[in-house]
This record gives sequence, structure tokens and C-alpha cells, in this order.
Amino acid sequence: MKLRFAAARLAALFRKPRLDRELDGEILAHIEMAERDAIAAGLSPEEARREARREFGGIEQMKEEHREQRSVRWVENLWRDVRYGLASLARDPGFAAITVGLLALGMGANTAMFSIVDAVLLKPLPFPEPERMVRVVETPAPGERNPTTTFTFLDWKRQRDIFAALSVESMTKAAVETGGTPARLTGKLVSADYFDVFAVKPAAGRAFAGGEDQPGAPMVVVISHALWQSMFGGDPGILNRELRLDGVPHKIIGVLPAGAFDRDEAVFWKPQIFTAEQMNRGPHIWDVIGRLRAGMTIGQAQAKMNLLRANMSEVLANFKDWGFGVEPFGKILVGDQLRQSIYLTFGAVLTVLLIACANVANLVLAKGVTRRKEMALRASLGASRGRLIAQLLAENLVLCVLGGIAGVGLAYIVLRAAGPLVAESLPFTSELALDGRVLGFGAFVVMAALILTGLLPSLQTSFGKLSSALNQTSRGASGSRAALRRSIVIAEVAASVVLISGAALLFKSLEKLQRVDAGVRIDHVITVSADLPMTAYPTPESAARFYDAVVQRLRAVPGVEQATVTQRLPLEGAAWGEYVHVPGVSEPLLVRVKMIDAGYFDTFGIPVKLGRGIQARDRTGAPPVMVINERAAQDLAGKFNFVNPVGRLVGIDLTGYGPIPETYRDVQIVGMIRNERTAGLNGPIQPVVYVPFAQVPQQNINLAVRTQIDPLALVAGIREAVRQVDPHLPLGVVMTMEQVKQRSMLWAKQPTWVVVAFAAIAALMAALGLYGVLANTVTQQRREIGIRMALGARPGDVVSQTLRSAFGMLVLGMAAGLGGAFAVSRALKSLLFEVSALDPIALGAACVAMALIGLVAAWVPARRAAGVDPMGVLREEG
Amino acid sequence: MSESKTDVPYGTLDLLILKTLDSMGPLHGYRIARRIEQVAQNLLRLNQGSIYPALIRLEEQGWIRTQWGVSETKRKVKFYSLTRAGAKQLDIEVRNWERATALVARFLEAGS
Repeated sequence: MKLRFAAARLAALFRKPRLDRELDGEILAHIEMAERDAIAAGLSPEEARREARREFGGIEQMKEEHREQRSVRWVENLWRDVRYGLASLARDPGFAAITVGLLALGMGANTAMFSIVDAVLLKPLPFPEPERMVRVVETPAPGERNPTTTFTFLDWKRQRDIFAALSVESMTKAAVETGGTPARLTGKLVSADYFDVFAVKPAAGRAFAGGEDQPGAPMVVVISHALWQSMFGGDPGILNRELRLDGVPHKIIGVLPAGAFDRDEAVFWKPQIFTAEQMNRGPHIWDVIGRLRAGMTIGQAQAKMNLLRANMSEVLANFKDWGFGVEPFGKILVGDQLRQSIYLTFGAVLTVLLIACANVANLVLAKGVTRRKEMALRASLGASRGRLIAQLLAENLVLCVLGGIAGVGLAYIVLRAAGPLVAESLPFTSELALDGRVLGFGAFVVMAALILTGLLPSLQTSFGKLSSALNQTSRGASGSRAALRRSIVIAEVAASVVLISGAALLFKSLEKLQRVDAGVRIDHVITVSADLPMTAYPTPESAARFYDAVVQRLRAVPGVEQATVTQRLPLEGAAWGEYVHVPGVSEPLLVRVKMIDAGYFDTFGIPVKLGRGIQARDRTGAPPVMVINERAAQDLAGKFNFVNPVGRLVGIDLTGYGPIPETYRDVQIVGMIRNERTAGLNGPIQPVVYVPFAQVPQQNINLAVRTQIDPLALVAGIREAVRQVDPHLPLGVVMTMEQVKQRSMLWAKQPTWVVVAFAAIAALMAALGLYGVLANTVTQQRREIGIRMALGARPGDVVSQTLRSAFGMLVLGMAAGLGGAFAVSRALKSLLFEVSALDPIALGAACVAMALIGLVAAWVPARRAAGVDPMGVLREEG
Repeated sequence: MSESKTDVPYGTLDLLILKTLDSMGPLHGYRIARRIEQVAQNLLRLNQGSIYPALIRLEEQGWIRTQWGVSETKRKVKFYSLTRAGAKQLDIEVRNWERATALVARFLEAGS
């Protein structure tokens, strides 16, 4: 009925014009009937009209009153309640600060988190018709993705009935000179219709023309808005300028619009021109993205590609199990791990919000006890129950709106501070912003919080026999209220235990990950990456000469113990997979290939177990050699019965320098080393073969130096050593090996620390709730405690009774929390490393932590209970 | 003029309307006003218009409901009738009123 009443008021607000019309009709009918009756009574029509008007009274005044009845009071009441709520908050600033603070924390975290969820998972990609954007791959097995070959890509590109645009995409680095210092820019090599895939047109100039990715085309480049601003100062005449990449002038033909592409790692795009050597079905090296023809669904495209694959079975006979796959662009952009992390973090902040709301509800309930008399008084003076609920809700509305405003402010600060850090892990298409959608979510959270914090307490406070409240003394806590407050605390404890369990599991997993033996020395090693420009190092020999020279220089730097040049750092992967062929055996062994120089094993402390390592004599022209790791030796032994691999000859395709194609070579295995972790700390131990960098030179390299002193003290020395060899070579970011290791664990660290932080907040909030309830109980039971103490109870008994009550709530909460932890364990699984989602130690630790925090929170009120002066209390009660 | 007319006692218009609807069944505004005047036998000074704000208030409280009907002058008008909650409310108000008048009566008797 109350609801109906409020609804009628609300509805009246929106139906005002119709209600006014209806009233006019009623007045007219009324006066007509009055006239008719007056005429029937014998008056003249004129007199009858006057009489009817007189009896009716002032029409306008009545209408005004009618309207007021309908709507104005509703708004006025709300306003009065809000003002009243503000005033009552001002009277109790401690309560206001705590509740608004709790809500701000919960809402702020949720708003900030939602902006990430929205940007990464909800918002469509910031390009026209993003559902047409796809990634096209070869599928060695269902669910696996592999790049493709040049010829197969060109076959795909001819499928004009499937793709409106199709482009390869590969990262490249180029050296540029800005004001004399060499710098390294990241760019992408793409097909001419690359920007048609995104349906993006340059803001200035043009995109690539059809023939510009063909041999012999002039050197052109498209740059990002960010690069235009940073390197060219936003020069409006940019289209007449050129960009020298590795010393080669490229004509700038277009500048992209500001936005999504500015968050991409790449700042320039140039056409990928296939060389004659690349025209084959050899290396699978091309990542392919495309835009489907209008009206074509991914399913239809996939069906057509399956058909194409079936027709190509002859030319692809070597890869007879491989298929073609078409996947939504966004699906690969947001990996499963990122998606999981985001869900997990969002779940954590939602839990914190729920706990915050529970706490506020509890505080409001506690306050409600003291207000029952006020409510009873108002009810006896004629306030309807609906009015009382409305008033209590309005007071909560004040709390929630203030909390929401503070929360949005907090979210803004969090996004400003942490945004750049987080953005690194997010795809370039997602922009973190506090936009309308996020603010809308914030408003939704405020309303949800209002219902969660306000409804129960206001029902509790306004229902029940209010009249009896007038007669009660302050000790009278109604049983149902106390039970409700205890249930809220139990729920808070349960939610906290779920979070703490998650945090404990993730933390244990991270700890395990930290302690994984990488197989290499991490301490006292510093690294820097570089790319040798084709212009300065046109031949494999020139590159090999550079490696030698730079390592010599580095070793001469004081404090340096050993130096090496390698293609990939430990933990950072090992180039690509290749097949090792054994003469006379048809089935090859898949291994990873890593190019290193003579100093590598020594620098990283990898012991040689059999034979020898790579040595300085393994140079260009010398017999080709390789060193294998233990895992590769095991695989060779298992597959080819190699008892001792050292000395054996195997065949392998080795990649060429720059555009030089790969060549098949017979290579001698000269040694075996201990395994190192190539696929990250959590990755499997891969079979790896190491080949001398001098025999298989590459342009992108990493320099690593083992130092006797603090490695960071040598940064300047290392830069100077490289500068002496090549003053024009730009270096990448200098990182210690420890930093490289930490970076390789980022996927695990980010969600862990977020969940740990929120679990701590949740536990503190639950403790606060527990404290609140116990403190309240003690206050209300002062008389009882006083009597018991007067009858001989010792302070210790009183303390233990309070603690027992706390422990009861904690145990119930923990039991429910463990149930919850079991329920959500599946969601955690994919983020855990070698830790079961139901790990008893982690779950046990979570319970112990919660119990300790809870008992500490209970200790204060327990001490207070023990401090009750029996005589004082009894006298007070009179 | 034997007696002067009195105003509607404060707060009793709702009671009068509820009672009227209780005994007469569904009525439109004009009939409600006339019925009150009839019962009061010209002892009451009622601005007929003032029943309309009262009616909307009673409707919002859920004590009466409206239906469209046709007046004697063939106009579409609202007919008001008592709801179950309205019947209960009438009971309460009648009892309150009786208690209040009994109290006042006792005072007047004691004073005389």
C-alpha cells in the first residue's frame, strides 16, 4: 500500500497535464449539474449559474490545492528529508566520515574497475563495423594458431568474395636521428590495404595506394598522430617532409587521426614488400588481419576458408593436418589471461563494495536503535509508515550520493595514477576514461548501494510496534535487530574469507613462481636491446664483426665480468620452432632455435654438461655447430636413440640475415648444457638448440653483461662502450635481468597485488563491522553485565563471553566463506601456478588471518565490557 | 435563521467523504458534495470545490478508487468508491472521532 502511494505520487508527476484536463472536466460537469438542479428548484438560468459558482467556491484556488496534493508534496518531502539527512549527518560527523569513506572506497574501486572492464570487454572496438574485423591464421590443431606463409597469404588475399581487405602485420624497429642522438622507433610492416582493415583514413594525406607494397615502389611511410606531434612538432607541412628510417629517406604520405593508433606500440607504418626470396610456402612468418566483405559472417567466412583449404590439399601436403582459421579480431586482442584477470579483479572490487554496503547498513541499523523513539514520536504525530521509510531512505540517499561523488573522485585519481601502468597490459584499442558510460555505472552503483544500505535498516526501524519504543528504555534491543546485525557481520566475514582465500592462493602461486629456478643467474646481470639497421650492417659478416667488437668493448668496461650478445634473453622465449632432421630418419624433431655468442653460457651461469659450449672459433666459414639443452638431448635419445648426442650430425633450416632466405644445413652437435627456462617461469621446459650468432647473424639483438658491482652503476659505461663501436646505433631500454624476470611475471603479479590489496581492505571492513556490533551489544548489555559482575562474575569471564560471541560469528562466516571459496575456485584456476585452487594451506592461512583480525577487533569491546562498574550501572538503572 | 452555518470541522472532510461513499456506493464528485450538504441539512458551509483535493488525497492513500462513468448531464465523469483499505480507515477514523467527542463531552459535563 505504501509503495502504491509513493508510486501514485511519482506517476502523478508525469501525468500532470492529463490529470489537469480530467479535473477541468469534473469541474465543468459539477457546475452543469449544480445549475440543472438549481433550475429545477425554480431559479432562473442566470441565477442558477451564479448560485452554482458560489457554491463551488474558488476554482483556481481549488485547482492549485489539487495539484499540490498530487505532486508538489512529494518533491517537497524529498527535499525536506534530504536536508534533514544532511543536518543529521552534520550532527554526527564521525558516523558521516566513516560511512561516506566506506562507500567512497567501494564505489571508487568499482567505478575505476568498470572503466577497465568497459574499455576492454564491453565497448566495441573503436573502428567502423568492428564485427567485420578478423584475424586469419593457420591452425596446426583445433584451438592453436600459427602464422602463415607468403604464398598462402597471397592465396587468401585472392578470396575477394570473403575479404574486403587483407593485410600482413609485423613489427619492425628503425633508427632515427633526432637532434644528433640516435633513437629507436617501433613500426609495423603492413600490406597496402592495412588501413582498410580498420576502415580508418589518415587525418592528413592518404593511406597506401594499391601498388605501394609491390617491388620497386617508392619508399613511403604513414605516421601516427603522436609521432607527428612529438617528432615534428605538429608541423602542418608534414606531407612535404620525410622520415629517415635507418638512414633511408621515406616520404611521409599520411598522418593518422589521434586516438586508438596513438596507444599502439607502433608509431609508423610502411609497406611490407615481399622479396623474391620470400615468395614461397617455406617459413610460416606472417600474422594476417582482415576485414570481411559486408554481410559476411565469421561463420560463413570460416566455411569458405575450409573449402579453400580442402582445394589446396595438394600444395599444402607437408602440413596435411593444418587448417585455416578465421577469428574475431578482438578475441585475440584480449587474451584469455587478461580476460580472467579482469573478471577476477572486478569480482574482488564488487565484493569489497558489498562488504562496504553491509558495514554501512550495519552502522545505519545501529543508529536506528537510538532513533526508534524519534520514529515512534513522528508516527504518533501522524506520519505514515511510508513517510518514515521515505525519510530514512532519503538520509541514506545523502550518504550514498556523497559516497558516490567521493568515489568518482577517487576513481579519477586512481585512473590518473595507475592508468598508464595498467594500459600497458591492455590492447591498444581500449581507452581508459571516466566517460558517460562509466559515470552511468557509478550512478547505478549509488542506487544499488542505496537499496543495500537503506532498505533493510529503514524497514527495521519503521516496522514493529513503534508505540512500544516510546516506553522502552535505551537498553531494549529488539531481538530481531540484533540477529540481523549479526547476520550482516557473518556475511561480511564470509565475503572477506572468499577474498582472502583468493589472495592467499594467488600469493602462494606468485611465490612459487618467484622461486622457480630459471636455470640462469639473474643477479648482477644487466641487459639492453638493439637493432642493427640494414643500411649500416648490410651483410651477415658486418653484423658478426659488430658483435665481436661490442663484446670486446663491454668486457673492457671496469666492473664488467663477462659480456654476451644473444638474440633472446632468458625467460623471453627462443625464436621460432624448427625441425631437426636426422639422416635416414623420416620423422623430424621440433625444437626451438636460439642464437648466442661464445660468452652466453658463462654470462648467465649455465653449465656445460657434455662436450663444449659455443666458442669464438665458431665463426663465419667455420664448420656449423650447435649446442643442445638437456631436454633436446632427451627428446633426441627418445626419438632417434642418440645415446650420446655430442658429435652427431643433424640437418636443420637456419634463418637468413635480413631478407636472405633460410638455408638447410648439416650441423654438428658439439655439446649439451643444462636447461634454462626459455618460455617464462611458468612455461614448459622446451627442447632448445643454440647456434653461434656469428654463423647465423640477426639484426635484432640483446646485449647482456655480468657485473661485479651493482649492475645499475654500469648503465652509462655500457652505453658509452656501444657508442664507441657505433655512435649511430640507438639502444632500447636498459633493464637488469631481475627486471626482465619481474616483467615476465607481470601477468601473475598484477591481479595478485590487486586482489591482495582488496582482500586486506575487505578484512579490515569486516573487522570494523564486527567491532561495531560487539561494541553495540556491550553498550546495550551494560546492565546485564553489571548484574552478573555484582553476582560474582570476574572480568575475565566477561571478556571471554564477548570473545566467544565474536568467535561464533567468525566461525559461521568462515564456514560460509570457505563454501564460497570452493564455489569460485574454478575461476581462479587458470591464474594459479602449481597451486591447487583448493590448497589447504592457503585456505587455512586465510581463515587464521581472518580469525586473528576478527579477535583483535573484538578485544576492544570485550575489554570495555570487563570494565563495567556494577555499582554504577545498578544505581543508574535506579 | 435559526442557526448560523458552521465550517467543516478541521480534518473531518475525509471522514465525511468516506462515510458518504460507504453508505451510498459509487458517486461522482457533485453527488458526494450534495449528499454531504443534504445530510448536514444546511448546517454546514461547504465549498463544494474543496472536495476535489480531498478526493485526490484519498485516492493517493489508496482509500478510494475511481471509475469512469456518465453523469446526469451526459458527461464523462469520475465515480468514486470505497476500497477495502478505505473501509478500514473509515472504521479507524470513526472510532477516533467518537473517542475525541466523548472526551470533549466528558469535559463539558464535568465543567457544568
